[in-house]
Amino acid sequence: MIYFDNAATTKQKPQEVYDAFLHYVQDIGVSPGRGSYQLGIEASRMLYQTRKVVSEYFGLIRNSGVIFTKNSTEAINLFFRGFLCEGNHVVITCYEHNAVLRPLQTMKEEGIIDFSIISRDDLLLSPIEICDKYFRDNTVLLVNTLASNLTGRIIYNSELIKEAKRRGVQSFVDSSQGAGKIQINMSEGQIDYLAFTGHKDLMALPGVGGLCCLEKPKWKPLLQGGTGVLGDSYTNPKVFPEGYEAGTLNMPAIWSLHASLTKMLDCRNLIYQKEQELKDYMMKKLSEDERIVLYDSEFDRIGTFGINLCGIKSNDLVKYLDENEICVRGGIHCAILAHEALGTVKDGVVRVSLGLFNTKEEIDTFSNILKGCK
Amino acid sequence: MHIVFFSTSDVFDAEERLKQANVQCSIVPTPVTDKAYCGVCISTEDKSALILLSDMEGKVVE
Repeated sequence: MIYFDNAATTKQKPQEVYDAFLHYVQDIGVSPGRGSYQLGIEASRMLYQTRKVVSEYFGLIRNSGVIFTKNSTEAINLFFRGFLCEGNHVVITCYEHNAVLRPLQTMKEEGIIDFSIISRDDLLLSPIEICDKYFRDNTVLLVNTLASNLTGRIIYNSELIKEAKRRGVQSFVDSSQGAGKIQINMSEGQIDYLAFTGHKDLMALPGVGGLCCLEKPKWKPLLQGGTGVLGDSYTNPKVFPEGYEAGTLNMPAIWSLHASLTKMLDCRNLIYQKEQELKDYMMKKLSEDERIVLYDSEFDRIGTFGINLCGIKSNDLVKYLDENEICVRGGIHCAILAHEALGTVKDGVVRVSLGLFNTKEEIDTFSNILKGCK
Repeated sequence: MHIVFFSTSDVFDAEERLKQANVQCSIVPTPVTDKAYCGVCISTEDKSALILLSDMEGKVVE
């Protein structure tokens, strides 16, 4: 079986990730911040160590600018519901995932905010032109996904974020796609907030994500409940980060994230090199078949490819590949804005997404099987 | 003495700083009289800890 759906979840993880998970559930097994006995203290220490490694990975100067959630969707909802106020305007790109679109659309329908979408053509404008065209007097936030989950195109534009900053507009990056493949430094890039998920490019287990903050936020948390600190208060304490992490954290997944990020920090260049080799090889193979339509082929990308095969419906191609033991994803990919921008809402797209453990031999097999699809 | 913090994360930040400076310390339950703070705190007899942690938001409980 060939797994080319890494943009959904990386199926194979480094051995260190499995080892970390087993260590946590077998040898620790308790929750951080919930007990002052030595085992509970060790759990809290491991949580702190994971915050540190996440901070280092995303270029935060402070160790404690990380709020853990169960995934990036929760982190995005936490951020929007806390940061945005009535009357605010937000600018997003047409490549944002539904995890960004839907909370904003809901807040718009509730009469709280409004937002504008930078079109695919306008993404080619200069940062000044984009800001001139889309920013309003009440614009408070620019949302910029790191990479498209549909086509792999890199959308993150550091100059656009800096131009927004010059105009007093804060920035938010959704790094769910590409976080393990593109080096991103929040401090240097002046990125105010960043959401991440553990189970994709960061190669941890599902169930952990988070929000990284350049400065400690002062807005309200998404969830109210037990935080392990100031238990005599009737509402969450105004303590960062615990005040934003009500409920028991998924520590086995968090500790697996510690293992995966530690590994990635150690081998960052090797990982980027492997990603580049696989990406280039897939591009070469896809270009050999004239029937293949590759979306956003002209842009810098990560190893995710949105394709169609002339004369073959996307759902039929997914089925054909599945019959040949190749896992890819068809449909809308929770990215309706991107499909609208590419004109593929009706027919869909087949997404082929590579991971660190894929091989050139697998790409050869995929290419040969694709050629046999009539 | 006990050095107490609002955030558990700060307790481990403090522990790391003190250990890097070779200051003897341990993490222990916070004295029950200080329930405004988180459940664990730093215990140390080394007064230099106060200088090392002077930029952190905490409180000393003897």
